[in-house]
Amino acid sequence: MTVTNTAATAVASEAGPADPATVRRPRRGSAIGKRVWNAAGAGLVVAALAGIWEGYKALGRAFDDVLPGTRIGFPVATDDMSMPHVWSILGALVEPARRSDPTTLGSYLLGETGVTLREAFYGLLAGSSLGLLLAVLFLHLVPLSKGLMPWLVASQTVPLVAIAPMIVIWGGQAGAPPWVAVTGIAAYLAFFPVTINALRGLQSPPKVQLDFMRSVGANRRQVLGWLRVPAALPFVFAGLRLAATASVVGAIVGELSAGTGRGIGRAILTFAYYYSNGPEKLYAAVLVAAAAGIVFVQALALVERLALRHRQTR
Amino acid sequence: MSEAAIIAVRGVNKEFTGGNRSVTALRDIDLTIDRGEFVSLLGPSGCGKSTLLRILADLTEPTSGTVSLNGKTPRAARTDRDYGMVFQQAGLFEWRTVQRNVELPLQVAGVDKQTRRAKAQEMLELVRLTDFSRHLPWQLSGGMQQRVAIARALSADPEILFMDEPLGALDEMNRERLQGELLRIWSDTRTTVVFVTHSISEAVFLSSRIVVMSARPGRIAASIDVDLPYPRTAATRTTEAFFAKVTEVRTALHGVPAEQEVR
Ligand SMILES: Nc1ncnc2c1ncn2[C@@H]1O[C@H](COP(=O)(O)OP(=O)(O)OP(=O)(O)O)[C@@H](O)[C@H]1O
Ligand SMILES: [Mg+2]
Repeated sequence: MTVTNTAATAVASEAGPADPATVRRPRRGSAIGKRVWNAAGAGLVVAALAGIWEGYKALGRAFDDVLPGTRIGFPVATDDMSMPHVWSILGALVEPARRSDPTTLGSYLLGETGVTLREAFYGLLAGSSLGLLLAVLFLHLVPLSKGLMPWLVASQTVPLVAIAPMIVIWGGQAGAPPWVAVTGIAAYLAFFPVTINALRGLQSPPKVQLDFMRSVGANRRQVLGWLRVPAALPFVFAGLRLAATASVVGAIVGELSAGTGRGIGRAILTFAYYYSNGPEKLYAAVLVAAAAGIVFVQALALVERLALRHRQTR
Repeated sequence: MSEAAIIAVRGVNKEFTGGNRSVTALRDIDLTIDRGEFVSLLGPSGCGKSTLLRILADLTEPTSGTVSLNGKTPRAARTDRDYGMVFQQAGLFEWRTVQRNVELPLQVAGVDKQTRRAKAQEMLELVRLTDFSRHLPWQLSGGMQQRVAIARALSADPEILFMDEPLGALDEMNRERLQGELLRIWSDTRTTVVFVTHSISEAVFLSSRIVVMSARPGRIAASIDVDLPYPRTAATRTTEAFFAKVTEVRTALHGVPAEQEVR
């Protein structure tokens, strides 16, 4: 094995990168192996978190929520009301959500999550389109970007809880259904990271590439389409990833402000209100919301991998 | 201006002004290059070689003076793709295959896909990289990337080829090999080449004429014809005539600043 390996290496280095057969993208097998390891790692983290939760709870139960030999209390109480068992949280998912209705809590939460993700997705779509448009505009109109950029930055520092009700009220007065306002809030959070990252990406081509385009007489549109935009793609995706997270947060917070009866944000609010009736339901809802966020961002990551599959992995 | 002249530079000056300081990069440049010549611009670092080449290519404006390229203004020559340019870094587009990089000037020109593809193949044959047409730039060595850049510069059939230290980033062996390739390509395509370098032996080996420049301010100090016969091969580098020419150029290069100091 070692011998053949060395021989292969020797041949490869002799031919250098000059032999087309030896110059290939990273091997498929190792990529899949890496994927499996990543999944295993993620599973391990989840298991560890569950373990810490249950361990803390067991300690608290054993010592009655007080550090042994002291009067120092545990920061969070560990009775079943404050910290339900992991299995009762998971168990709640497969039990009916309401007494009168056979629908399980899990499928109810999934339905509400679907509503939220749709709002987040439309918000991301609208927000990132606006973000890209602004980036291209700023690239070509530097004075505009100088004048407008501080306002964009300021717009993002205004607390969301202050903005959300305003958008909801405006949406209501315009006669739009509540989910439109929620989508608007998601878009409001999503556009900014896309604008900033896309602008940086559009400005990223090195001088030699810009000089080359000029040397072949390329016009502005050609420079934009064939050089700046492709060069900006990795930056745009970095921005989109931030925007995806932000749009989910925006959609959930938006639902809290809007008068919608739907969405995972609404569900969380309701379960928090009726906490004493079933604490595990609130935790289950939070769990589903978190999982949905991860799925949303991962779906985007998949698109990114597809779009950038020919780029060198740096 | 003679009938054969393809490049004519008359009284060109270039000043860079930044803040309150200004640098005279070029002073009183007069230069005529005939069709089919291989001219090297040779001089110490900072003498304005790149600046002069960029003015010819309409990548920089001269402060004063006129330039004519193929009987046109540099701007018209640029938008007509009368010249191709190779830079010190290959500067290939990393998301395009080698083939599509070479096609780019034709794509800008609005040439249809079929013709583009055929032309790119022809150019890749010229630089001997047909096997790599579907590779991406990062899969190639530096020397191969530079050959792709040469193919790309030539794909729109320019009459002039500008090169700014295209082999500067390569090791000695690759460099000499590519110098040979370059002469072959020059004789195959019959383009006029303006080549920037600060290597004396490179300039002597390649050029039919060497324009020696001096620094501060950048000006033309001498124009030396290199009458070594083409085709030149590795053997040329060891001839008596080659050494004599290298010495002559070196003397011109080093003699100039002293002479100017006396004045
Ligand atoms: N964009 C610029 N702004 C200001 N000064 C410049 C600029 N470009 C070049 N210069 C100055 O002009 C002079 C000539 O520069 P140039 O790059 O043409 O030299 P060069 O002969 O190509 O040098 P090298 O061999 O190191 O590439 C230098 O003094 C340099 O500092
Ligand atoms: Mg230079």
